[in-house]
Amino acid sequence: MASIISATNLTLAYDKGKNIIINDVTFTIEQGEFVFITGPSGSGKSTLLKSLYGQIKPREGMLNVGGFDMSKIKKKQLLQLRRNIGIVFQDYKLINEWTVEKNVVLPLIITGYSLDVQKVQAEKLLSHVKLSDQATKYPLELSGGEQQRVGVARALSKNPFLILADEPTGNLDEFSSGVVWDLLENACDQLNATVVVVTHKIPTIFNIPYRHFIIENGGVHEVH
Amino acid sequence: MKSIKDHLMFILPLMAMLIGIEFILVFNRITSSYENKLKNEYAILVVSQKNLTTPYLRSIDDNIDSVEAMNREDIAKEVTSGMQDAALAAIMKDLPYFYRVHLTSYMSLDGLKKIRAELKNVNGILNVEIFGENYHSKHTIFRLVKMLLNIFIVMLFIVSIMLVIKQMQVWQLAHKDRMKIMEIFGAPMMLRSGILFKVAIIDAIIATILNIVIFLFIKSKWSQNSDIDFVKNNQDLLFNISDFVILFVIAIVIVAISVFIVAMNTREVPEG
Repeated sequence: MASIISATNLTLAYDKGKNIIINDVTFTIEQGEFVFITGPSGSGKSTLLKSLYGQIKPREGMLNVGGFDMSKIKKKQLLQLRRNIGIVFQDYKLINEWTVEKNVVLPLIITGYSLDVQKVQAEKLLSHVKLSDQATKYPLELSGGEQQRVGVARALSKNPFLILADEPTGNLDEFSSGVVWDLLENACDQLNATVVVVTHKIPTIFNIPYRHFIIENGGVHEVH
Repeated sequence: MKSIKDHLMFILPLMAMLIGIEFILVFNRITSSYENKLKNEYAILVVSQKNLTTPYLRSIDDNIDSVEAMNREDIAKEVTSGMQDAALAAIMKDLPYFYRVHLTSYMSLDGLKKIRAELKNVNGILNVEIFGENYHSKHTIFRLVKMLLNIFIVMLFIVSIMLVIKQMQVWQLAHKDRMKIMEIFGAPMMLRSGILFKVAIIDAIIATILNIVIFLFIKSKWSQNSDIDFVKNNQDLLFNISDFVILFVIAIVIVAISVFIVAMNTREVPEG
């Protein structure tokens, strides 16, 4: 299997290196793997996830995502990488002035797909996340669980090689959480996407093999 | 309602800037035309003992356009009105040559004084009259009006720029979230700011058209009823079709700069 994410002696910090969050960690994640990252609040889970899509640059060490060295990546390359990553946020990050179906196909709009392709893909994904009847509504007209399902549909819309999710079920009820975990499982299992999920709690029922990293005191440890 | 207000918040200061620019264009044309009129109506009077030619005087100062000889007989007749022909003949014998010297362009009083000094040094020239004070009195008032107008336009520009900056802050608030989300998903700056750019371009087109309507009204209606003869007789100076292109290009440049600044201010800066 090819390595999708590779970190070697990686250090992540804020305030120009004064505030070290992740300190000298080494790990690799292969294509098609499902990885949970857990740890106490403030341990650096979200920071590590942000570094995977380039919102935080490595302070020291090497971080390679999808073949790009994240410490040297140029802005244009970063945007190119992001176009092939699906990201799910705890606070959904939907565009409130756009309809649900337009939000879902945002990655296709960015890549320049035709309106016909966008429409077909929006219908398919909204059916997957059980929101076909909400296509023309706006995000603020939906419940939190429905908004997160829109967020997951958006992350899957371009069949990304990597899906990053930051507390995707943090604000959701049991039903919506179940739908979100099913979608992420399917993306990994059927589309062979690599999925990295930051969460407080691993779901009790999970149907595919996964790896589990714990972040504590700046270090990353794998639980076997 | 909010949308209309948002548009007006950008259209009005943009219109104010374009009006200022159009005023500058119009006033430059009027100034140039007025100076041309002054130049055409003006001539230096030269009294000389010998014949003068245009090439000869041009070799002394290249601001000299042409030399026009005045009819000596007419001058002599005027002086000898009621006298005998012998008196006329005697005066004609001693009467010097009179010339009107025309210039290539409108000149300052200092420039005229320099030409007078140069001509006075020419052997045979007895006197040079530049009529400097008359020539400049009207033009000085004109220049004063122009200076006041320029001050007004600068003030208008400063206030307009402040209003545009205010509107840029409104844009930033309104579009920041969308632009940041689009950036996270890999949208280039052109795409992220595309929606804002379209809105701003529409505002630029509206502002340009409203400006043109105002100046066409001034040209066709106001100038006809104006008591200012110069304006009445020179309506063409009030609006040119090329002004439309100039105003539109300037409006687009202002829009492009404004949108670019908003896009730069909302772009993600990697931490770490």
